[in-house]
Formats: sequence, C-alpha cells, structure tokens
Amino acid sequence: MASTSESEGQKEGDDPEDANKSNPSQDGTFECNICLDTAHDAVVSMCGHLFCWPCLHQWLETRPNRQTCPVCKAGISKEKVVPLYGRGNAKQEDPRTKVPPRPQGQRTEPENNGPFQSFNWGGDGGFQMSFGIGAFPFGLFASTVNLGGPRLPGAQPGTPQFEEEQFLSKLFLWVAILFIFWLLVA
Amino acid sequence: MANIAVARIKREFKEVVKSEEAAKCAIKVELVDNNFTELRGEIAGPPDTPYESGTFILEIKIPETYPFNPPKVRFQTKIWHPNISSVTGAICLDILRDQWAAAMTLRTVLLSLQALLAAAEPDDPQDAVVARQFKENYEIYVKTAKHWSYKYAGAPNRTPELDSKLKQLADMGVDEHRARVALSSCDWDLARATETIFS
Repeated sequence: MASTSESEGQKEGDDPEDANKSNPSQDGTFECNICLDTAHDAVVSMCGHLFCWPCLHQWLETRPNRQTCPVCKAGISKEKVVPLYGRGNAKQEDPRTKVPPRPQGQRTEPENNGPFQSFNWGGDGGFQMSFGIGAFPFGLFASTVNLGGPRLPGAQPGTPQFEEEQFLSKLFLWVAILFIFWLLVA
Repeated sequence: MANIAVARIKREFKEVVKSEEAAKCAIKVELVDNNFTELRGEIAGPPDTPYESGTFILEIKIPETYPFNPPKVRFQTKIWHPNISSVTGAICLDILRDQWAAAMTLRTVLLSLQALLAAAEPDDPQDAVVARQFKENYEIYVKTAKHWSYKYAGAPNRTPELDSKLKQLADMGVDEHRARVALSSCDWDLARATETIFS
C-alpha cells in the first residue's frame, strides 16, 4: 500500500529491494493531491490523479454542482474513481467501516467461451434473454433464455445506474414475452 | 477539518520557501500568527509591466475549510490595476472564487497573482475606474500604475510630471493620497480632480 511509511516498510522489508527504494513521501509520487500527505484509502481518477478517498469525497461534497478534478479540472464523479489496493497492512483492511465508504472496485469476469450454458439458474437471479426468427420452415423461431448465465457485471447495487439497469432488463423481458404471445396468437 | 488545513499550510509554506521563485525573490511568504490561519505574502512586480521592481504585500487568510475552499487574499500594498480595488485591495480572480481547485497551493496562488499583474482583464474588472482608464487611455493607465508602484511598492521609476500635479494639489492643503486618487481617477486632469475634491 502506498501509505506504508518508510519505517514500517523497513520493518516489514523481507525483500531487500524494498529498503533500496526511495521513500515515496520524498519524491511525492504517492502523495494525495488534496492533503499533500501520502495517500491513504487511495483512489485514482480517470484522469490519473491520486487522492485519499476521504479528501476527494469532501471535495466532491463541497462542490456538488461542479464536480471537477482538483488537479486538472476534468469532469469526475464518485462512480468513476478506481480504488488502489496495495498489499496493505491490517490497519487498512476495512475501508467500509470508515465514513464515507470508499467506492468498490469493479471486477470483470473473464469471457466464458464454453458450450451451451442456457437454463442455468444463478444464485443472484440475473438473466439474459435473446430470441430471433429463423427462415421458415427451418425454424419458426429460435430462442434462448439464459438465466443466471455469465454476464458482464452491472452497476453496484444501490446506485441509480443499478436501478436503471434493473428497470430496463424487466422492460425488455415483458416486451419479449408480449412478442412471443403475439407470434403464437397470430 | 482544521487539521488538514494546518498540515497543508505547513507543507505549502515549505514548498514556497524551497521554490525556485523564492530563490529568485519573486515570491515570499511569512507567518503572521503561529496557528497558520493568517499569512503575509509578497510578490515582485513582473518585468515589462508598470509594476516592475515593486514589492506587493498580500494579506492571506486561511479559512477553516481550506483546502476545499480558497484562501482569502487581498492586496495590502495599494495598487492601480483593473482587477484589484484601488481602495480595498480586493482581488477579482476566478481561482480565488469559483474556479478554485483543492490541488492549488500558496505557491500557485502567488504565481497566479503575479501573472494577473502582467495580464489584466479589463472586461472583468474589480475597479471600474481603473478598467475604464485601461481601455480608453492606456498610456495614462501605465503612467498611473507606475506612479502608484513607485509610491507604494518601492519601485524605482519616478514619474516627475505626475508628481508636480500632485504637489499643486498638496499646496492647496489636500491630503496626498486623496489627491493621488482624485488625479488618477480623472486621468490626471488637474481641473477635474480639483473639482471632485472640492465639490
């Protein structure tokens, strides 16, 4: 973790190279751009600027209408900062207990190119649906309904983006069901 | 959050002291009280401007919410500039208001103020009288600004023809600063200045 101070680094330094590295607080590489101290609970903006999460949070709270990077004035938002997790010491393990909580990292599942995986009921109840009409008579319509299959990770629960995605997925499901009914009736 | 404010000011103070600009005597900062809430800044007038070789003193007040809000900065040295009040020393500069960003420091603020002296913005004035003179009568503005720099900021360039007009008003028993303000505001027209003083 960037906030490991020099003395701690030397104590823990089982790797001899660690001790040879220059002290990060001297060259300023890992200093928060707001408090100018070594960043703790570090997050980095999309424009590449490093901050302590509490510092950046307070900056964003101070200017709710004009959320810009304190360094380069690029547009930034809470959702678009990336937390940095170093190897860390035990003191820093629970950022969620701190107020305000640091945004979570987003983890993308690797692409799964395996065989047909439809009708897997997943634990999280997520699903995807796709359907189409083949050329008659080779197929009236082919549809696959993927329930809980591998999908790209959505937004974090609780965020407005998450609710929007939930709404859209429900909407598309009903549109699809209506379309199938229409095909059957017609 | 006063803790962040004090810790940051201490670092920024060192940054200014160690900076190249301080080595060249272009900027300087001093403590006024020991709790780092009030500082005294100094900037050198930039070369090739009417403020050249002057030393301008700034009053810097650090708010409780620093660095999330900008420091309050005011010129203590009287100055003739479109974006600085000739009466109060209040400064019209976007980064000291809504364009402040938390990564800015005392050093960048002082350098920005120095840049402001070199590049006035008469269309966004703090002192309307100076701004009008700047736009309508640039040569007189330059002379006036030089005169004020000589008088208040210790710049070496004297402006003898302006001094003689001042002396005429002083001979009538007018306070020197009052006479200077009246003459400066009236584009050094002695008759008009006399009229404004005695009307």
